[in-house]
Amino acid sequence: MIDNGLLVQMILGALLGLSVYLPMAAGQLSLATPAFYAVGGTLAALLSTHGSSQSTISLWAVLGEMLLAAGLTAGLALLVGLPVLRLRGIYLAIATIALVEMVRVAILNLPFTGGAAGIFGIPQPFQKPFGYVLFSGGLLAVCGWLFQRLEASRLVRSMAAIRDDELASRCMGIHTTRVKLTAFVASAVLAGITGVIAAHYLNTWNARQGSFDVAITTLAFVILGGSRSWLGPVLGGLLLTALPELLRPVGDLRLVLFGLVILLGPVFFPQGLITPTLLERLGRWKP
Amino acid sequence: MDTLLQTLLNGAASGGVYALVALGYTLIFSVLGVINFAQGALFSLGGYLTYLLLGGKIGVNGALPGWGLPIALPFWLALLLAALGSGVVGLLVERIAFAPLRRRGAEPLLSLITSLGAGVVLVNLLQLLMGAEGYAFPQGAAGLAHLPDSLLLGGARIRTIQVLLLAISALAVASLSLWLERSRSGKAMRAVAEDPTTATLLGINSVAVVRLAFLLSGMLAGLGGGLIGMSVSLAGPYFGISYGLKGLAVLVLGGLGSVPGAIVGGLVMGLAEALISSAASGWRDALAFAILFAVLVLRPSGLLGRRQLEKV
Repeated sequence: MIDNGLLVQMILGALLGLSVYLPMAAGQLSLATPAFYAVGGTLAALLSTHGSSQSTISLWAVLGEMLLAAGLTAGLALLVGLPVLRLRGIYLAIATIALVEMVRVAILNLPFTGGAAGIFGIPQPFQKPFGYVLFSGGLLAVCGWLFQRLEASRLVRSMAAIRDDELASRCMGIHTTRVKLTAFVASAVLAGITGVIAAHYLNTWNARQGSFDVAITTLAFVILGGSRSWLGPVLGGLLLTALPELLRPVGDLRLVLFGLVILLGPVFFPQGLITPTLLERLGRWKP
Repeated sequence: MDTLLQTLLNGAASGGVYALVALGYTLIFSVLGVINFAQGALFSLGGYLTYLLLGGKIGVNGALPGWGLPIALPFWLALLLAALGSGVVGLLVERIAFAPLRRRGAEPLLSLITSLGAGVVLVNLLQLLMGAEGYAFPQGAAGLAHLPDSLLLGGARIRTIQVLLLAISALAVASLSLWLERSRSGKAMRAVAEDPTTATLLGINSVAVVRLAFLLSGMLAGLGGGLIGMSVSLAGPYFGISYGLKGLAVLVLGGLGSVPGAIVGGLVMGLAEALISSAASGWRDALAFAILFAVLVLRPSGLLGRRQLEKV
């Protein structure tokens, strides 16, 4: 049922879930992840197809692209984040949807991004999907390790404080703007480098990769997985990416069922699948 | 070559539809403080219902190819019934996606997800039933057949349907404003929007008001869908989603929760899009969001909105 190809997509889903989770851990509902994902993917597609028609690429070159994508998305996130993070709740969500749509239309219309068809023949660093499983799985493991390590850090505690009460945390001397911006930039960088891997894995890249739909699905990863611990979005990303594929036997009904999951999930599991109580019970993992 | 008058009228006509969608958001936002993301799907639904009620047949990729309603209603009636149908489905969305969360006092932003889920279900049911193909409305629908195809207005040729579009949306917007301003139930809705607790203490049934808001909001979306289907075509079940997003931009432009703001915002957006030269038409879709982004950053209360005071 789950082959290596699907496994890669599931891991990429988990990474995007983490990207949406980061600002949310600081109480900010940002849907900007697909915009940065699209920027990262487009950058990788442009760089690796520019002036060469080879079908393979060295892993070092891909790592270089990831570094560049991280720099570019971090810069963009700083630029956009400063004005946008002053907004709260639904306003921030709408502003970031606008950002996603602007990036989508830009990629669709820029003269060098291939229009609606996009960019084809992106070279591969690995010959088999299994290589991508190891590579993206490694990245996910590093992220998980970082999240777990930083759980007790000053930054992550400040994020949790802002999430619980922004005004009170500002009174406690937390530099809220800086903390929110840090979370936003980290989220953008993670989305950007995930885009680089996705572009190589998919072999083709176009404007539809970062659309409003992606904003919704990635948000659903966090909401259904649980937004109280980094394990939530990882689980949500893995499960919800696999779901439409596993539902393939039911044919055209699968997207209806997928919608039902998003519709009814928050009704029956308001805290998501991974709740603080569950983590408490598991003992070792303190939220 | 379009004359300026033509361009302006076309812009105003699509602006009227944007205003309808934005008003749908506004009604729900003002009573509940949330956004109903199923609005775009209800827009699609309205378009398809109108198509079927006009006697249109399901295409080859649908679940029942060649099937159609045994009736072909006049345009006016089809539009009205389709709007009503979307309104009823809007009520259903409230029951499934909003009411359970509200009863539990859950985080209001969760309803963002559930309403989106409702939208995904609706759009994909439409796709299942009607197929992904585009539909053009039956030509010469009853009630429109005797109208000329275009009118000569001040030296400019204007499609009759554009004039109708503008007239119908203006009528809908005007009657909605009048109803909110004058009628007892409209006043009740404004009271709930102002302060739900006080309104309930004054004996207003706030649950009924919320349901009414969803019914009306669904009707506005459905009406918009029918009108766009009539003037352009139905470009597949997802066609309402982009109108839903544009309506969101208009909502912010006018100021969240402001009725006149939604109307002015819709017109501004429609005219701005119409005035973009056809050479840059690919960028037209970005305009709404660039405006939206700029408004949020520079003036989050919108053109005609009230500045919100943060309660601590």
